[in-house]
Amino acid sequence: MSSTIIIGGGLSGLTCGLALAKRGHNVTVLSGGPSTLMFSGGSMELLGAIDGQPVTAPLDAIASLPDCHPYRKIGAERIADLAGQARELLNDVGITTAGDATANHWRITPMGIAKPAWLTLNEYFRIDNLSHLPIKKIALMAIRGFFDQPNGMLAQGLRDLGFEVKVVEFTTDEIASLRRSPTEMRATTLAKRLLSHNALQRIANQVNSLSGDAELVLLPSVFGQKNDDSVRLLQDLCDKPLRLVATLPPAVVGMRIQAQLLHYFMMLGGDYRTGEAATGGIIEGGRLTGVTTAKSGSPVLTADNYVLATGSFVSRGLAADARHIYETVLDLDVDADEDRDRWTHFGVLEPQNYWTYGVTTDETLRCFKQGARIENLHAIGSVLSGHNAVKMGDGTGVSLLSALAVAQDILAGK
Amino acid sequence: MTTSDIYSTTYDVIIVGGGVTGAGTARDCAMRGLKVLLVERNDYSTGATGRNHGLMHSGARYAVTDGESAAECIAENRVMRTIARHCIEPTDGLFITLPDDDLQYQDTFVTACRNAGIDAQAIDPAEALQLDPAVNPDIIGAVRVPDASIDPFRLTVANLLDARLHGAVTLNYHEVEGVVTSQGRVEGVKLFNKLDDTRAEVHGHVVVNAAGIWGHRLASMAGVDIPMFPARGALLIFGPRINRMVINRCRKPSNGDILVPDGTVSVLGTTSDRIPIEAIDDMRVTREEVDTLLTEGAKLSPQLTRTRIIRAYAGVRPLVASDDDPSGRSISRGIVCLDHAQRDGIEGLVTITGGKMITYRLMAQAATDAVCAKLGNTAPCTTADRPLPGSDGPAKGLDDDTTRYSFAQRAAIGRHGTLAAKCDSKDEIDNALVCECEGVTVGEIKYALKDLHVYNLVNLRRRTRLGMGNCQGKLCSCRAASLLALFHHDIRRAQTDLANFLDERWKGMRPVAWGDTLREAQFTASIYQGLCGLDTAINQQQEQDNKI
Repeated sequence: MSSTIIIGGGLSGLTCGLALAKRGHNVTVLSGGPSTLMFSGGSMELLGAIDGQPVTAPLDAIASLPDCHPYRKIGAERIADLAGQARELLNDVGITTAGDATANHWRITPMGIAKPAWLTLNEYFRIDNLSHLPIKKIALMAIRGFFDQPNGMLAQGLRDLGFEVKVVEFTTDEIASLRRSPTEMRATTLAKRLLSHNALQRIANQVNSLSGDAELVLLPSVFGQKNDDSVRLLQDLCDKPLRLVATLPPAVVGMRIQAQLLHYFMMLGGDYRTGEAATGGIIEGGRLTGVTTAKSGSPVLTADNYVLATGSFVSRGLAADARHIYETVLDLDVDADEDRDRWTHFGVLEPQNYWTYGVTTDETLRCFKQGARIENLHAIGSVLSGHNAVKMGDGTGVSLLSALAVAQDILAGK
Repeated sequence: MTTSDIYSTTYDVIIVGGGVTGAGTARDCAMRGLKVLLVERNDYSTGATGRNHGLMHSGARYAVTDGESAAECIAENRVMRTIARHCIEPTDGLFITLPDDDLQYQDTFVTACRNAGIDAQAIDPAEALQLDPAVNPDIIGAVRVPDASIDPFRLTVANLLDARLHGAVTLNYHEVEGVVTSQGRVEGVKLFNKLDDTRAEVHGHVVVNAAGIWGHRLASMAGVDIPMFPARGALLIFGPRINRMVINRCRKPSNGDILVPDGTVSVLGTTSDRIPIEAIDDMRVTREEVDTLLTEGAKLSPQLTRTRIIRAYAGVRPLVASDDDPSGRSISRGIVCLDHAQRDGIEGLVTITGGKMITYRLMAQAATDAVCAKLGNTAPCTTADRPLPGSDGPAKGLDDDTTRYSFAQRAAIGRHGTLAAKCDSKDEIDNALVCECEGVTVGEIKYALKDLHVYNLVNLRRRTRLGMGNCQGKLCSCRAASLLALFHHDIRRAQTDLANFLDERWKGMRPVAWGDTLREAQFTASIYQGLCGLDTAINQQQEQDNKI
């Protein structure tokens, strides 16, 4: 069986690793640290907007994307097939979702804004059709002293969508004890504290006594960093249906997705190395023959195939100095403007060019260095050029689908 | 006092401009018993006051070229150490000589400093490196001087608070649209209230023009011409802070030769370019300014090349051509106080301009003297003898047992001095940190909202330093926006406010958007736009506004 080294252990790296390991491949994932899953809002987005207008049918809209977009390189038909595979794969690892690549639904952001989404985790609040709300009355349970969910904005946003919203502040012993520290009240620390049956029972008691005549109870996403056990238990203890709404980062749901992907990858025999970021590589005769890592004394790691999944600037897959934009591990060719003044725009809410920068790839997502293609090196996820996670809502989609496309190609020996 | 009471009162003096000079003048006038109104068109300290190094000059920088200014600086430096202690970090400064510089200049410099009364001590370069390891190790000479770091926002607020304690009324977001004149006399100002879009005419016996570089506009409303020569200076903020002391180049003042430690960051400046008067509102920093500062800054401290550039900003010095030479060739860098009755035959108008931040109190005294002379008031100036609010007691938590105080309490005491006691800390919610970089608690925000004229997040930043640290408001701005929304009961305003705040932060980041600053920008965009959809919310609001 052939071997693959994946550089980067976020959503795309792990997804690609899983797809390969499931088929018995020998896979090593080199992780450099936390991934952009920490921004997760509980949904995956395939294609949310084009030129500022929301997309209703993401698969159909792929045709109107420019040729340089990763979806166009992979091909619309293949994307449709891979989208189904992605959902199944998430399901296999224990992340059950609702949604359909042919028609977007709406996720509700921490500020109460409806944004188009492809897949939303089952326990997260979503709306299929904004003109036909399935329920009317919502109780928004706000944790006292928790500032990482802007409840006022969330409530107002929901009211603007047509809901009747009652904001109910509550706390429990476990929560109040966290607030005694000036800095500990974060979604992730709450999630660690709110695991036991007793802790969840106390929350359920508050929900049951305070939610009045609401048809649905919304809670901040502070439950279940490893899996959905605590959310399911809490639902069992509550009289009314519960849904979660994402918080400001670090996102519990992102950590959970990471944990479940990783758990399954390890079960399949995958080799995941944390804190062992790749630092460079050896390129000979148009092929990558080995990578070096940050771990001291570690030998050069070798494999048949390599996949670059190091992410964008946030994850340090790309970087900039005052003169140029570069890829950080192998100094690969990048699609980026040379003139620094063109990287950004004056207005903070305007589209910024640097968001679309990434490594140059061919139609099979293989990388180049100094104009020469590297035959056994593919790029996936946010390190790819030509897409725009912030404005087009295609970040998680590109991560999942480019990962599966490349895994397919490697399995087919292409 | 209701707003209509405020508008219908006739004041002894109306001061236009809420920078440190206007604030200091309001304090001085109020302490001499005058009935005072201060108006500011934006927020307090938005002009040159909030756009400089935050350097409390010892005067050493001017010793060789302008002995008189140097003597003024060191005298005021000593005054500030007693009356504004909570605004100051007494770091001391170094003037370093590099191999490219002329070491003989150091002797000229030390002699000039001593002549101006500045305690300048030439020290061994090795000792200088021990005092501040951030200094360029190649130095061949060093002089220690009593420079310090000062927070201009805090200094302005302290002066305003004291003015109010002495009965002054201060209004921000009130723009002067015209002056009320009658028979060659200025008798008041026409105000536009930007907070509620209303207009009012307010009367006063004397109007003081303390509007800095914008003062020429106010003067021209009264039919007076003041030949202003705007000198623009750009600066860069680096973080986290690298230097302990102020680091200066020991040579004639030039570009990028001062590095000031400022709380959690280091500030490098400045450039100096004459700009046309029409360009004074464009504060965008150019690529050339950034590159010049980076080249020169690396000579002061090579460590700067490895430190993140957090943001860039620019300010405009209000320099005035002397009246006997309107060509602008001889420009006064000293204090300029113009009584327009004597100069132009317009009674009731005094302009105070020129000078430096550190000499603001002297400027205020000169302006107040001119006002008092007109009104027949003979009360003496006492602003140098009475401490500002916040410095009127022992600085608890800074000097004594620091273990008794939390990081946030110490930060608040540092910012507000004795007034930190007004920050609620009765329960764990009040003590919760909103801004982790700068240690700003819920209690401190509540205090600022209640007592410090805060209408939006940018105001809050100037009063508390929220969002001014390493992460530039990445997470705290959303938390603070939520708190403000609860206080003002206006959610939609909270979202536009948040977008404005992020835009204001981005304006400073964009000229230096590479390295970790570009990463932070992408991080912030991922949160506020990608995850939260703030851009969608703002677009929807604009569409609705357009429909109306």
